[in-house]
Amino acid sequence: MTGKEKTILDLRDVWKIYEMGDVKVPALSGLNLAVKKGEFLSIMGPSGSGKSTAMNMIGCLDVPTKGKIFLEGHDISTMSESDLAQIRGKKIGFIFQQFNLINTLTAMENVMLPMIFQGVPKNERVEKARKLLEMVDLGDRMHHKPTELSGGQQQRVAIARSLCNDPEVILADEPTGNLDSKTGGTVMDFLRKLHEKEGKTIIMVTHDANVAKNADRTEFLRDGKIIKSMRKTAA
Amino acid sequence: MKLDEINYVFQNLIHRRLRSFLSVLSILLGVAAIFALVSFGMGIQAYVDEIAAKAGVDKLYIQAKTMGAPGTDPNFYLTQDDVDFVEKINGVAEISPMYMKTAEITFKDKRKYFFIAGMEIEHLDFIEEAFTATTEVGRPLKEGELNEVALGYNYRIPKKIFDKPISPGDNVEINGEPFRVVGFYEEIGNPSDDGNIYVTKEAFEALFPEWVDKYGFIMMSAEDGVKVKDLAEKIEDKLRKHKGQEEGKEDFYVQTFEDALETFNTVLAVINGVLVLIALISVVVAAVNIMNTMYTAVLERTKEIGIMKSVGARNSDIMFIFIFESGLLGMIGGIIGVILGYIAASIGGAAAAAAGFSSLQPAFPPSLIIMCILFAFCVGAGAGIMPAWRAAQLKPVDSLRYE
Repeated sequence: MTGKEKTILDLRDVWKIYEMGDVKVPALSGLNLAVKKGEFLSIMGPSGSGKSTAMNMIGCLDVPTKGKIFLEGHDISTMSESDLAQIRGKKIGFIFQQFNLINTLTAMENVMLPMIFQGVPKNERVEKARKLLEMVDLGDRMHHKPTELSGGQQQRVAIARSLCNDPEVILADEPTGNLDSKTGGTVMDFLRKLHEKEGKTIIMVTHDANVAKNADRTEFLRDGKIIKSMRKTAA
Repeated sequence: MKLDEINYVFQNLIHRRLRSFLSVLSILLGVAAIFALVSFGMGIQAYVDEIAAKAGVDKLYIQAKTMGAPGTDPNFYLTQDDVDFVEKINGVAEISPMYMKTAEITFKDKRKYFFIAGMEIEHLDFIEEAFTATTEVGRPLKEGELNEVALGYNYRIPKKIFDKPISPGDNVEINGEPFRVVGFYEEIGNPSDDGNIYVTKEAFEALFPEWVDKYGFIMMSAEDGVKVKDLAEKIEDKLRKHKGQEEGKEDFYVQTFEDALETFNTVLAVINGVLVLIALISVVVAAVNIMNTMYTAVLERTKEIGIMKSVGARNSDIMFIFIFESGLLGMIGGIIGVILGYIAASIGGAAAAAAGFSSLQPAFPPSLIIMCILFAFCVGAGAGIMPAWRAAQLKPVDSLRYE
């Protein structure tokens, strides 16, 4: 972290309040978080701390009840669902705990899917998907369906998919949560490589301190707020 | 771009092939029925148009008002006096009365009953034009022939009327009198007309002396430039006055060929329309079935919808995917339905021809095929709109969490 790069994501006093009948339950209570371009950030916290909600806000999957979220200087907290979809497709790459691949499509088709929604021409899509799958060492599994792949392989397909539209931010939600430690390690290696070699901004949500250690900075979340921030000391 | 989603759609239909099959099955039956019925309707329409074109639109006829076919009731008839009167009316070009009644025909000791027509041979060309049939085998009747007969098409086909076919030169008996067969008419396309017996007016009068001057109907043509409908009205009006009958109580009616064909057409169109309507009900049921399938599909793929939305699918993309998928179900049903309908209509046409109704044939214009498939697609797509809307409205956060 040099501190010189510009802020790519900025959450300012973000609140998310769920209404359960008459009771209002705040999931986020004034969250402030700034992420710089090229940073590898992890967000840690126990369950119920608001991790997932924060993740949804950062990923433009949901809008806050109150507060502002700036992605590259644009306020996304008031955007329509269609505009949010476009931003998700272009600027954010998702990696989920459950991989979230579409089982009826092959690895290749799964990687191409986000490009379809961005109107990328077919030959370009095929070319790019091939390159990305080769990058995650799945060049020989391109035409396999998710059910024919191991968990680690599926997560690598998901990584390839997250990269296909050259997103600004990669959002990983417990990326190793469903993997054993060895395959989890491989997945983390890929994420780190993306960060170090490609200079991608990575935001990772995890409850595993060992996984969080990979990041430059770790923010601890409790009751919908950041309670502690920790920077990795230079090795 | 949109077309790239087709593969995904196909994969989904294949993935739940049993449900897809059932949905397809439900719509294909309706489409098959509609296709077959409409193909018959169009075939008959084409036949009627062909007859109208051949017979010409300048023909009209006067017929005695009976309960049944002309010549079946001896109390209703037209006379030579009527013919002479009508002939003088302005606008009438050619006129020829015709005797018509049932007669017994015997060939090799086998007896059958059919219509016999007594024709004025000097007007034979005119009559044949109106009948849209000419002698195909042998020769036509000649003026003054008293023991010669021309027969309909079916007499020369074995097992149609008589087990053995009749040939020119053969002898038959009509109401006990010997006649020599001189010729055969070409096929008209229904068992009644193709079983007709044709003799000269003189032969008819000799056979049935009690029927002299009791015509079944009078055929006429209008002069060039005269409106046939106007002429029909004029004739009806003048003949009524001539016969001293009250309006609405005439013992005859005047009809143009066009009207007669139109009446025939309308009856068929109504029958056909009712059947198509029934088939349409089955299509509505199919639409409900498809809608149900699609609602299930949306529920089942809630998580997938969330995934697609998270990777950039807009609501409109999701809408498109589900409507297209639903439309595709309909279209597959449509294609199979058209094939099935084609087979059914062809079998139906062959069966009708075997029964003597060779005029009752289906027509398969490409427009009908395209319309049926397009219709099925639209029914499917239409049935998918509501489920697709529901899919599009799902919130990404909620649907991603759905298991």
